[in-house]
Amino acid sequence: MEQNRRIRFIQGNEAIAEGAIAAGARFYAGYPITPSSEVAEVSSVRLPQVGGLYVQMEDEIGSIAAIIGASVAGKKSYTATSGPGFSLMQENLGVAVMAEVPCVIIDVQRSGPSTGLATKPAQGDVMQSRWGTHGDHGIIVISPSSVQDCYDLTIQAFNLSEKYRTPVIFLADEIVGHMREKAVLWEPSPDQIINRKKPTCDPKDYKPFKPDEDGIAPLAAYGSEYVFRVSGSTHDETGFANSKPDNADRFIRHYTDKIEKNKKDIVILRRFNLEDAEYAIVTFGCSTRSALEAMKIARNMGKKVGVLQLVTLWPFADDGVRELCRKVKGVVVPEMNLGQVIREVKRVNENNIPIVGVNKVNSEAITPFEILAGIEEVER
Amino acid sequence: MSNMKFDDYLVKNKFPLFWCGGCGNGNVLGAIVRAFEELQLDRKNTVVVTGIGCWGKADDYINTNAFHGTHGRALAFATGIKLANPELKVLVLMGDGDGATIGGNHLIHAARRNVDLTAIVVNNLNYGMTGGQYSGTTPEASYTSTSPYGHIEQGFDLCKLVEGAGAPYVARGSVYNIVQLQKLIVEALNKKGFSFVEAIAPCPTHFGRRNGMKTGPKMLNWIKENSVNIKQAEKLSPEEREKKFVLGKFVDRDKEDYSTKYEKIFAIAENAE
Amino acid sequence: MKERWEIILSGVGGQGLIVSGSILGEAATIYENKNATLTSSYGTETRGTFTKSDIIISDGDIYYPEVMKEDAVLALAQVAYNRYVGSLDEEAVLIYDSGLVEDVKASRAKQLGFPITDIARELGNPAVANIVALGIIVKLTGVVSPEAVVKAIEGRFIKKPRVVELNTKAFNRGMELVKD
Repeated sequence: MEQNRRIRFIQGNEAIAEGAIAAGARFYAGYPITPSSEVAEVSSVRLPQVGGLYVQMEDEIGSIAAIIGASVAGKKSYTATSGPGFSLMQENLGVAVMAEVPCVIIDVQRSGPSTGLATKPAQGDVMQSRWGTHGDHGIIVISPSSVQDCYDLTIQAFNLSEKYRTPVIFLADEIVGHMREKAVLWEPSPDQIINRKKPTCDPKDYKPFKPDEDGIAPLAAYGSEYVFRVSGSTHDETGFANSKPDNADRFIRHYTDKIEKNKKDIVILRRFNLEDAEYAIVTFGCSTRSALEAMKIARNMGKKVGVLQLVTLWPFADDGVRELCRKVKGVVVPEMNLGQVIREVKRVNENNIPIVGVNKVNSEAITPFEILAGIEEVER
Repeated sequence: MSNMKFDDYLVKNKFPLFWCGGCGNGNVLGAIVRAFEELQLDRKNTVVVTGIGCWGKADDYINTNAFHGTHGRALAFATGIKLANPELKVLVLMGDGDGATIGGNHLIHAARRNVDLTAIVVNNLNYGMTGGQYSGTTPEASYTSTSPYGHIEQGFDLCKLVEGAGAPYVARGSVYNIVQLQKLIVEALNKKGFSFVEAIAPCPTHFGRRNGMKTGPKMLNWIKENSVNIKQAEKLSPEEREKKFVLGKFVDRDKEDYSTKYEKIFAIAENAE
Repeated sequence: MKERWEIILSGVGGQGLIVSGSILGEAATIYENKNATLTSSYGTETRGTFTKSDIIISDGDIYYPEVMKEDAVLALAQVAYNRYVGSLDEEAVLIYDSGLVEDVKASRAKQLGFPITDIARELGNPAVANIVALGIIVKLTGVVSPEAVVKAIEGRFIKKPRVVELNTKAFNRGMELVKD
């Protein structure tokens, strides 16, 4: 048992790298950027110890290209970056969507736009993670709030990526990435790890984009018995370019549907003290910690406050948030941006309850007291 | 494995070729599949990686594994493919706009990193697919759809660039001398490490039309007249030489490739704490 | 026993405050099964500018990872001392390096000065000032047991027995500086 559980006091970024390796990732390509570089550094130490490969590319465009290539060649792969690098990755993120290539992209958010404040936190990439690459598509975005999350949810990110043959974005932030905290590094058992479906058909009949009944097509690896092609251009089931309107319509809808129609399986929400809550804080990432502290203080003051943590940011938890908005008298949405998640909360607010944003972009964490002030505002 | 003929490597149901009459891409494609036949490459173990542009369509006609990525990034995708499975034979097909202009940074770093890839850049001196704009290899003073008054930039000598970046194999052929081109491609495919072949090719539709060579034969003839071999080039003055396509093999040196070096990293890492 | 401790380690870049904070965090989490967080704020430069680390140690869950009310502040530089001396309340203790902080001011907090860096130099390496300071903090607060800190030092430098020896000595020397 001791062998399978290591207690460590480490940074979130270190836990992300350990989580990736525990999930079975064996290929990292990246370009160093604050505040994500520890993911690269730990990966460069740990991957070769487990037979994995670390390569530093010339830029983030090449980094995401390399992990996509490595994934089609059969290795679970990942990269880590921050805002400026994430911007550079957007075009090839679309390749991973279009070619349905499993891979995990870690974005440790920092203050932007542009170079911004390189060492300071922000949560400003919520919409970029959803819509940053051009064209319609679905995407899975997971946001950790603790170092333990960085480990556990990285494993989950790989599992979802493999299951749905899709890129998954791990949207961390400088606070969680750099914070040191207790983390239990547990060894996943084989049944806790999902690997992509491999084809079982006759190699002559293999079509790399022909979905099974579950909506997901098996993915072979280069070098196997299956000779196949993948493409970032609009293609048909064979992977060959196809410009027919009905084909384009079918595939573009498929990229959205395979994520949106599996929300029940994909979306993770955490509910804290919501049973009797009159007011709720809807939160994600580092701001969750401030929200929970605010909840604790509010409860001590006799206020019935609960927290809904969006562990999965995208696909958005429409049902969970809609249900919450039906139940409580008001909602506070703290985020280290000028209001990205709050738009989604308002979208499902059918009863028009008061919803207040606590928005901070000065590079400092939102304090519990600022959230408490937000609660006072919705109470009025 | 049964004996593979060159057309076993072709996807014939995608014929006729997408390219314009007089284009050199079909000739280079022919040289590649004949090289495959000569080497009896295993389709299952071969991956052709392409970017975007006229030449980026080449993988549609090749019956191996294929990866069709984004404009300029073929080498980066290929780097991941090769490093993830060093047993694969990875061939990267790019145009001059794709591989040497938008993708120039990947080109020099792939050469420096010495990943065991074979890159073939078909250089038709302009952006064909988008309508004949100037690229990073368009010769100075020539006309393109975006240099209507004459081009004022100097074009890359891609072979010198890749040689300077450290590639162990660097050669240039042309569509006019297809036998030599095929020989260079075979050598490049056999070379362990990053190998680079530039193929000078005609684009009569765009480059030719704007520079007094409206037909394929006229452009081919122009390539022929302006080509010299390495020995002949040595006799030219630097100014004369700059205006010529120097054909032949410039570099053929032994260098340990990335994957072989990484094998040693595994051993060191295993013994580290 | 106090449930939540909030400690600030401050100084200038390069003094090893993240290392001493990590050792404290490791002592608490790995060897005493408590929870701990360590967050640091620093400039883009590695050395020379003001830095601080917030350490929170608790038997319960830790949500907000920044210090809201200081229990103890270590200041290993005048710039760090100046930042806290005026704002702490009477329940806090301000520990400073009396060799580096020359301009001592009035404070509501309890102030204790020790020649931390000079002692580290006596021990053979000024770089262990952070560990001397750790000894002082642990003795003053009892936030973790000295045994847990020693185990954390041993665990961190497992392949470097001489480093373990020097750091353990520095830690014990720091403990001794505080009179019972």
